[in-house]
Amino acid sequence: MDENFSEKKLGKLIQRTLLSGVFLSLFFFFLGFVFRLTGSAAADGLLRTGVWLLALTPAARVIMLVYGYCRTKEYHFALAAFTVLSLLLVSALI
Amino acid sequence: MFDLNFLNFSLLAFFGFFIGILGSVLGVGGGIFIVPLLVLALGVPIHQAIAVSLVAIVATSSAVASVNVERGLANMRLGVALEVTTALGSIIGALAASRLSSNLIHFFFSIMLAAVSISMFLKGRRSLKRVSSGHFQAAAGGAGGALDSSFFDPSTGSHTSYRVKNMAPASFVSFFAGGLSGLLGIGGGVIQVPVMNLLCGVPFKAAAATSNFLIGVSAAASVFIYLRKGYLIPDLAAVIVIGVLLGSFAGMQILYKARSEKIQIAFSAFVFVVAVKMFMTAF
Repeated sequence: MDENFSEKKLGKLIQRTLLSGVFLSLFFFFLGFVFRLTGSAAADGLLRTGVWLLALTPAARVIMLVYGYCRTKEYHFALAAFTVLSLLLVSALI
Repeated sequence: MFDLNFLNFSLLAFFGFFIGILGSVLGVGGGIFIVPLLVLALGVPIHQAIAVSLVAIVATSSAVASVNVERGLANMRLGVALEVTTALGSIIGALAASRLSSNLIHFFFSIMLAAVSISMFLKGRRSLKRVSSGHFQAAAGGAGGALDSSFFDPSTGSHTSYRVKNMAPASFVSFFAGGLSGLLGIGGGVIQVPVMNLLCGVPFKAAAATSNFLIGVSAAASVFIYLRKGYLIPDLAAVIVIGVLLGSFAGMQILYKARSEKIQIAFSAFVFVVAVKMFMTAF
Protein backbone atom coordinates (compact mmCIF):
# COMPACT_ATOMS: atom_id res chain seq x y z
CA MET A 1 0.00 0.00 0.00
CA ASP A 2 1.21 3.52 -0.81
CA GLU A 3 1.96 4.93 2.64
CA ASN A 4 1.87 8.51 1.33
CA PHE A 5 -1.67 8.11 0.10
CA SER A 6 -3.83 7.46 3.12
CA GLU A 7 -7.59 6.93 3.46
CA LYS A 8 -7.83 10.50 4.75
CA LYS A 9 -6.16 11.88 1.62
CA LEU A 10 -8.55 9.91 -0.57
CA GLY A 11 -11.46 11.30 1.45
CA LYS A 12 -10.15 14.84 0.93
CA LEU A 13 -9.76 14.21 -2.81
CA ILE A 14 -13.33 12.90 -3.06
CA GLN A 15 -14.65 15.83 -1.02
CA ARG A 16 -12.91 18.37 -3.29
CA THR A 17 -14.14 16.62 -6.43
CA LEU A 18 -17.76 16.56 -5.24
CA LEU A 19 -17.78 20.15 -4.01
CA SER A 20 -16.07 21.41 -7.20
CA GLY A 21 -18.75 19.74 -9.32
CA VAL A 22 -21.61 21.11 -7.22
CA PHE A 23 -20.26 24.68 -7.09
CA LEU A 24 -19.31 24.71 -10.77
CA SER A 25 -22.81 23.63 -11.78
CA LEU A 26 -24.34 26.18 -9.37
CA PHE A 27 -22.18 28.85 -11.04
CA PHE A 28 -23.60 27.87 -14.45
CA PHE A 29 -27.16 27.83 -13.05
CA PHE A 30 -26.82 31.36 -11.66
CA LEU A 31 -25.21 32.56 -14.86
CA GLY A 32 -27.99 30.89 -16.85
CA PHE A 33 -30.69 32.65 -14.83
CA VAL A 34 -28.93 36.02 -15.19
CA PHE A 35 -28.85 35.50 -18.97
CA ARG A 36 -32.49 34.36 -18.87
CA LEU A 37 -33.44 37.66 -17.16
CA THR A 38 -31.66 39.63 -19.89
CA GLY A 39 -33.47 37.56 -22.51
CA SER A 40 -30.26 36.16 -23.96
CA ALA A 41 -30.41 32.95 -25.99
CA ALA A 42 -27.27 31.71 -24.20
CA ALA A 43 -29.35 30.93 -21.08
CA ASP A 44 -30.50 27.53 -22.36
CA GLY A 45 -26.95 26.40 -23.09
CA LEU A 46 -25.66 27.58 -19.72
CA LEU A 47 -28.42 25.84 -17.75
CA ARG A 48 -27.98 22.65 -19.79
CA THR A 49 -24.21 22.78 -19.15
CA GLY A 50 -24.93 23.14 -15.42
CA VAL A 51 -27.12 20.02 -15.48
CA TRP A 52 -24.47 18.03 -17.40
CA LEU A 53 -21.73 19.17 -14.99
CA LEU A 54 -23.85 18.06 -12.07
CA ALA A 55 -24.61 14.69 -13.66
CA LEU A 56 -20.89 14.22 -14.37
CA THR A 57 -19.87 15.00 -10.77
CA PRO A 58 -20.50 11.44 -9.45
CA ALA A 59 -18.60 10.10 -12.48
CA ALA A 60 -15.63 12.34 -11.61
CA ARG A 61 -15.85 11.04 -8.03
CA VAL A 62 -15.73 7.44 -9.33
CA ILE A 63 -12.65 8.28 -11.46
CA MET A 64 -10.96 9.57 -8.28
CA LEU A 65 -11.87 6.32 -6.52
CA VAL A 66 -10.26 4.29 -9.34
CA TYR A 67 -7.14 6.45 -9.00
CA GLY A 68 -7.17 6.29 -5.19
CA TYR A 69 -7.60 2.53 -4.94
CA CYS A 70 -4.87 2.01 -7.55
CA ARG A 71 -2.56 4.17 -5.43
CA THR A 72 -3.37 2.13 -2.31
CA LYS A 73 -3.04 -1.08 -4.37
CA GLU A 74 -6.56 -2.21 -3.44
CA TYR A 75 -7.14 -3.42 -6.96
CA HIS A 76 -10.45 -5.20 -6.33
CA PHE A 77 -12.00 -1.90 -5.21
CA ALA A 78 -10.37 -0.12 -8.17
CA LEU A 79 -11.99 -2.74 -10.42
CA ALA A 80 -15.39 -2.23 -8.76
CA ALA A 81 -15.08 1.54 -9.25
CA PHE A 82 -14.00 1.00 -12.87
CA THR A 83 -17.07 -1.20 -13.45
CA VAL A 84 -19.30 1.57 -12.06
CA LEU A 85 -17.56 4.07 -14.35
CA SER A 86 -18.20 1.79 -17.34
CA LEU A 87 -21.89 1.54 -16.37
CA LEU A 88 -22.12 5.33 -16.20
CA LEU A 89 -20.54 5.55 -19.64
CA VAL A 90 -23.03 3.00 -21.00
CA SER A 91 -25.97 4.98 -19.54
CA ALA A 92 -24.64 8.17 -21.16
CA LEU A 93 -24.41 6.48 -24.55
CA ILE A 94 -27.68 4.51 -24.60
CA MET B 1 -46.36 23.29 -20.65
CA PHE B 2 -44.54 25.04 -17.80
CA ASP B 3 -43.80 28.75 -17.63
CA LEU B 4 -40.95 29.71 -15.31
CA ASN B 5 -41.89 33.29 -14.47
CA PHE B 6 -40.59 35.19 -11.45
CA LEU B 7 -43.44 33.98 -9.20
CA ASN B 8 -42.95 30.34 -10.19
CA PHE B 9 -39.18 30.69 -9.74
CA SER B 10 -39.57 32.11 -6.21
CA LEU B 11 -42.19 29.53 -5.23
CA LEU B 12 -40.15 26.61 -6.56
CA ALA B 13 -36.94 27.84 -4.91
CA PHE B 14 -38.87 28.19 -1.64
CA PHE B 15 -40.41 24.72 -1.94
CA GLY B 16 -37.01 23.31 -2.89
CA PHE B 17 -35.52 24.93 0.21
CA PHE B 18 -38.31 23.49 2.37
CA ILE B 19 -37.87 20.03 0.82
CA GLY B 20 -34.12 20.25 1.47
CA ILE B 21 -34.67 21.00 5.16
CA LEU B 22 -37.32 18.29 5.42
CA GLY B 23 -35.02 15.77 3.77
CA SER B 24 -32.27 16.52 6.30
CA VAL B 25 -34.63 16.27 9.29
CA LEU B 26 -36.53 13.19 8.18
CA GLY B 27 -33.54 11.44 6.68
CA VAL B 28 -35.31 10.83 3.38
CA GLY B 29 -34.29 11.96 -0.07
CA GLY B 30 -36.12 14.82 -1.70
CA GLY B 31 -37.55 12.57 -4.42
CA ILE B 32 -40.64 11.55 -2.49
CA PHE B 33 -41.58 15.24 -2.16
CA ILE B 34 -40.23 16.71 -5.43
CA VAL B 35 -42.07 14.38 -7.81
CA PRO B 36 -45.54 14.83 -6.19
CA LEU B 37 -45.00 18.60 -5.92
CA LEU B 38 -44.19 18.94 -9.60
CA VAL B 39 -46.87 16.50 -10.78
CA LEU B 40 -49.79 17.31 -8.50
CA ALA B 41 -49.24 21.01 -7.80
CA LEU B 42 -47.68 22.21 -11.05
CA GLY B 43 -49.00 19.72 -13.59
CA VAL B 44 -45.53 18.74 -14.82
CA PRO B 45 -45.63 15.36 -16.68
CA ILE B 46 -44.30 12.58 -14.45
CA HIS B 47 -41.32 11.65 -16.67
CA GLN B 48 -40.07 15.24 -16.56
CA ALA B 49 -40.71 15.43 -12.81
CA ILE B 50 -38.67 12.26 -12.24
CA ALA B 51 -35.79 13.67 -14.31
CA VAL B 52 -35.75 16.88 -12.23
CA SER B 53 -35.94 14.90 -9.00
CA LEU B 54 -32.96 12.74 -10.02
CA VAL B 55 -30.85 15.84 -10.78
CA ALA B 56 -31.72 17.23 -7.34
CA ILE B 57 -30.73 13.90 -5.77
CA VAL B 58 -27.32 14.03 -7.51
CA ALA B 59 -26.83 17.55 -6.14
CA THR B 60 -27.79 16.81 -2.53
CA SER B 61 -25.97 13.49 -2.51
CA SER B 62 -22.76 15.12 -3.79
CA ALA B 63 -22.97 18.01 -1.32
CA VAL B 64 -23.86 15.91 1.74
CA ALA B 65 -21.46 13.07 0.82
CA SER B 66 -18.57 15.52 0.64
CA VAL B 67 -19.11 16.26 4.34
CA ASN B 68 -19.70 12.62 5.34
CA VAL B 69 -16.62 11.37 3.49
CA GLU B 70 -14.42 13.95 5.17
CA ARG B 71 -15.85 12.97 8.59
CA GLY B 72 -15.19 9.30 7.81
CA LEU B 73 -18.88 8.51 8.29
CA ALA B 74 -19.48 7.18 4.77
CA ASN B 75 -17.88 3.79 4.11
CA MET B 76 -16.48 4.37 0.60
CA ARG B 77 -15.41 0.74 0.04
CA LEU B 78 -18.87 -0.54 0.92
CA GLY B 79 -20.40 2.23 -1.18
CA VAL B 80 -18.43 1.42 -4.30
CA ALA B 81 -19.08 -2.31 -3.89
CA LEU B 82 -22.84 -1.74 -3.75
CA GLU B 83 -22.75 0.87 -6.51
CA VAL B 84 -22.09 -1.82 -9.13
CA THR B 85 -25.51 -3.45 -8.82
CA THR B 86 -27.29 -0.22 -7.83
CA ALA B 87 -26.10 1.59 -11.00
CA LEU B 88 -27.09 -1.39 -13.13
CA GLY B 89 -30.57 -1.45 -11.56
CA SER B 90 -30.87 2.29 -11.99
CA ILE B 91 -30.13 2.10 -15.74
CA ILE B 92 -32.71 -0.67 -16.20
CA GLY B 93 -35.25 1.28 -14.09
CA ALA B 94 -34.79 4.44 -16.18
CA LEU B 95 -35.07 2.51 -19.43
CA ALA B 96 -38.24 0.82 -18.16
CA ALA B 97 -39.71 4.19 -17.09
CA SER B 98 -39.19 5.64 -20.55
CA ARG B 99 -41.31 2.80 -21.96
CA LEU B 100 -44.08 2.84 -19.36
CA SER B 101 -47.18 5.03 -19.52
CA SER B 102 -47.56 7.98 -17.14
CA ASN B 103 -50.58 6.35 -15.49
CA LEU B 104 -48.65 3.21 -14.62
CA ILE B 105 -45.80 5.26 -13.11
CA HIS B 106 -48.36 7.29 -11.11
CA PHE B 107 -49.69 3.97 -9.80
CA PHE B 108 -46.22 2.63 -8.87
CA PHE B 109 -45.31 5.94 -7.24
CA SER B 110 -48.46 5.94 -5.10
CA ILE B 111 -47.71 2.40 -3.88
CA MET B 112 -44.12 3.41 -3.04
CA LEU B 113 -45.35 6.54 -1.18
CA ALA B 114 -47.82 4.48 0.86
CA ALA B 115 -45.01 2.11 1.86
CA VAL B 116 -42.72 5.04 2.80
CA SER B 117 -45.54 6.63 4.80
CA ILE B 118 -46.11 3.43 6.84
CA SER B 119 -42.35 3.01 7.35
CA MET B 120 -42.02 6.65 8.52
CA PHE B 121 -44.90 6.21 10.96
CA LEU B 122 -43.48 3.00 12.44
CA LYS B 123 -39.95 4.43 12.66
CA GLY B 124 -41.22 7.57 14.38
CA ARG B 125 -43.22 5.55 16.91
CA ARG B 126 -40.34 3.18 17.61
CA SER B 127 -37.95 6.11 18.18
CA LEU B 128 -40.39 7.80 20.54
CA LYS B 129 -40.78 4.63 22.60
CA ARG B 130 -37.04 4.15 22.86
CA VAL B 131 -35.90 6.30 25.76
CA SER B 132 -32.21 6.09 25.09
CA SER B 133 -31.59 3.73 22.26
CA GLY B 134 -28.81 1.24 22.77
CA HIS B 135 -25.93 2.21 20.61
CA PHE B 136 -24.77 -0.15 17.97
CA GLN B 137 -22.68 -2.97 19.22
CA ALA B 138 -19.10 -2.32 18.38
CA ALA B 139 -17.28 -5.07 16.61
CA ALA B 140 -14.79 -7.01 18.63
CA GLY B 141 -11.16 -6.19 17.99
CA GLY B 142 -8.96 -8.04 15.59
CA ALA B 143 -8.44 -8.00 11.88
CA GLY B 144 -11.61 -7.82 9.86
CA GLY B 145 -12.67 -7.84 6.22
CA ALA B 146 -11.75 -5.23 3.64
CA LEU B 147 -15.16 -3.56 3.94
CA ASP B 148 -15.07 -3.19 7.74
CA SER B 149 -14.72 0.31 9.04
CA SER B 150 -15.08 2.64 12.00
CA PHE B 151 -16.19 6.21 12.57
CA PHE B 152 -16.20 8.81 15.31
CA ASP B 153 -19.66 9.30 16.78
CA PRO B 154 -19.96 12.76 18.43
CA SER B 155 -23.10 11.69 20.35
CA THR B 156 -21.16 9.00 22.23
CA GLY B 157 -17.76 10.71 22.04
CA SER B 158 -16.12 7.49 20.91
CA HIS B 159 -15.16 5.51 17.83
CA THR B 160 -17.61 2.86 16.66
CA SER B 161 -16.16 -0.05 14.70
CA TYR B 162 -18.25 -2.47 12.72
CA ARG B 163 -17.95 -5.49 10.48
CA VAL B 164 -19.77 -5.76 7.18
CA LYS B 165 -21.52 -9.05 6.44
CA ASN B 166 -23.98 -10.52 3.92
CA MET B 167 -22.63 -8.61 0.93
CA ALA B 168 -24.10 -10.99 -1.68
CA PRO B 169 -27.76 -10.55 -0.64
CA ALA B 170 -27.16 -6.83 -0.01
CA SER B 171 -25.85 -6.40 -3.57
CA PHE B 172 -28.89 -8.27 -4.88
CA VAL B 173 -31.35 -6.02 -2.99
CA SER B 174 -29.35 -2.93 -4.04
CA PHE B 175 -30.10 -3.79 -7.64
CA PHE B 176 -33.82 -3.32 -6.91
CA ALA B 177 -33.15 -0.12 -4.94
CA GLY B 178 -31.37 1.22 -8.02
CA GLY B 179 -34.24 0.06 -10.23
CA LEU B 180 -36.74 1.91 -8.06
CA SER B 181 -34.56 5.02 -8.19
CA GLY B 182 -34.40 5.04 -11.98
CA LEU B 183 -38.07 4.19 -12.36
CA LEU B 184 -39.57 6.63 -9.85
CA GLY B 185 -36.94 9.34 -9.33
CA ILE B 186 -36.27 8.62 -5.69
CA GLY B 187 -32.84 8.15 -4.10
CA GLY B 188 -33.44 4.60 -2.98
CA GLY B 189 -32.26 5.30 0.57
CA VAL B 190 -35.56 3.89 1.88
CA ILE B 191 -34.23 0.48 0.83
CA GLN B 192 -30.44 0.98 1.03
CA VAL B 193 -30.33 2.19 4.64
CA PRO B 194 -32.32 -0.75 6.15
CA VAL B 195 -30.37 -3.19 3.95
CA MET B 196 -27.00 -1.91 5.18
CA ASN B 197 -28.23 -1.54 8.75
CA LEU B 198 -30.13 -4.79 9.22
CA LEU B 199 -28.54 -7.10 6.64
CA CYS B 200 -24.92 -5.92 6.58
CA GLY B 201 -24.70 -4.90 10.25
CA VAL B 202 -23.62 -1.32 9.55
CA PRO B 203 -24.57 1.18 12.31
CA PHE B 204 -27.48 3.44 11.30
CA LYS B 205 -25.46 6.67 11.01
CA ALA B 206 -22.81 5.05 8.80
CA ALA B 207 -25.51 3.27 6.77
CA ALA B 208 -27.36 6.56 6.12
CA ALA B 209 -24.10 8.32 5.16
CA THR B 210 -22.99 5.46 2.89
CA SER B 211 -26.43 5.29 1.26
CA ASN B 212 -26.24 9.01 0.59
CA PHE B 213 -22.77 8.53 -0.88
CA LEU B 214 -23.86 5.88 -3.36
CA ILE B 215 -27.28 7.21 -4.45
CA GLY B 216 -25.55 10.05 -6.31
CA VAL B 217 -24.05 7.54 -8.73
CA SER B 218 -27.28 5.61 -9.27
CA ALA B 219 -29.24 8.84 -9.80
CA ALA B 220 -26.57 10.10 -12.25
CA ALA B 221 -26.82 6.86 -14.26
CA SER B 222 -30.57 7.49 -14.66
CA VAL B 223 -30.13 11.23 -15.31
CA PHE B 224 -28.01 10.48 -18.40
CA ILE B 225 -30.85 8.38 -19.82
CA TYR B 226 -33.55 10.97 -19.04
CA LEU B 227 -31.30 13.68 -20.53
CA ARG B 228 -30.77 11.76 -23.75
CA LYS B 229 -34.49 10.98 -24.03
CA GLY B 230 -35.21 14.73 -23.79
CA TYR B 231 -37.22 14.55 -20.56
CA LEU B 232 -35.19 17.12 -18.63
CA ILE B 233 -36.35 20.75 -18.30
CA PRO B 234 -33.08 22.57 -17.42
CA ASP B 235 -34.77 25.71 -15.94
CA LEU B 236 -36.92 23.63 -13.63
CA ALA B 237 -34.02 21.39 -12.60
CA ALA B 238 -31.76 24.39 -11.89
CA VAL B 239 -34.23 26.22 -9.66
CA ILE B 240 -35.13 23.07 -7.71
CA VAL B 241 -31.43 22.19 -7.27
CA ILE B 242 -30.63 25.67 -5.94
CA GLY B 243 -33.51 25.52 -3.45
CA VAL B 244 -32.90 21.95 -2.31
CA LEU B 245 -29.14 22.49 -1.90
CA LEU B 246 -29.62 25.61 0.23
CA GLY B 247 -32.27 23.76 2.25
CA SER B 248 -30.03 20.72 2.78
CA PHE B 249 -27.17 22.88 4.06
CA ALA B 250 -29.55 24.80 6.32
CA GLY B 251 -31.07 21.54 7.54
CA MET B 252 -27.65 20.11 8.38
CA GLN B 253 -26.60 23.25 10.25
CA ILE B 254 -29.77 24.34 12.04
CA LEU B 255 -31.80 21.22 12.65
CA TYR B 256 -29.08 18.64 13.09
CA LYS B 257 -30.02 18.11 16.72
CA ALA B 258 -33.78 18.54 16.38
CA ARG B 259 -35.98 15.62 17.39
CA SER B 260 -37.43 14.33 14.20
CA GLU B 261 -39.67 11.54 15.57
CA LYS B 262 -42.82 13.66 15.97
CA ILE B 263 -42.24 15.39 12.63
CA GLN B 264 -41.82 11.93 11.12
CA ILE B 265 -45.20 10.74 12.44
CA ALA B 266 -46.92 13.96 11.31
CA PHE B 267 -45.40 13.74 7.85
CA SER B 268 -46.24 10.06 7.49
CA ALA B 269 -49.91 11.15 7.41
CA PHE B 270 -49.12 13.85 4.84
CA VAL B 271 -47.20 11.41 2.65
CA PHE B 272 -50.12 8.97 2.84
CA VAL B 273 -52.53 11.67 1.65
CA VAL B 274 -50.17 12.44 -1.26
CA ALA B 275 -50.05 8.69 -2.02
CA VAL B 276 -53.87 8.57 -2.23
CA LYS B 277 -53.94 11.68 -4.45
CA MET B 278 -51.28 10.21 -6.73
CA PHE B 279 -53.19 6.90 -6.83
CA MET B 280 -56.34 8.73 -7.95
CA THR B 281 -54.48 10.41 -10.82
CA ALA B 282 -53.36 6.99 -12.08
CA PHE B 283 -56.87 6.15 -13.35
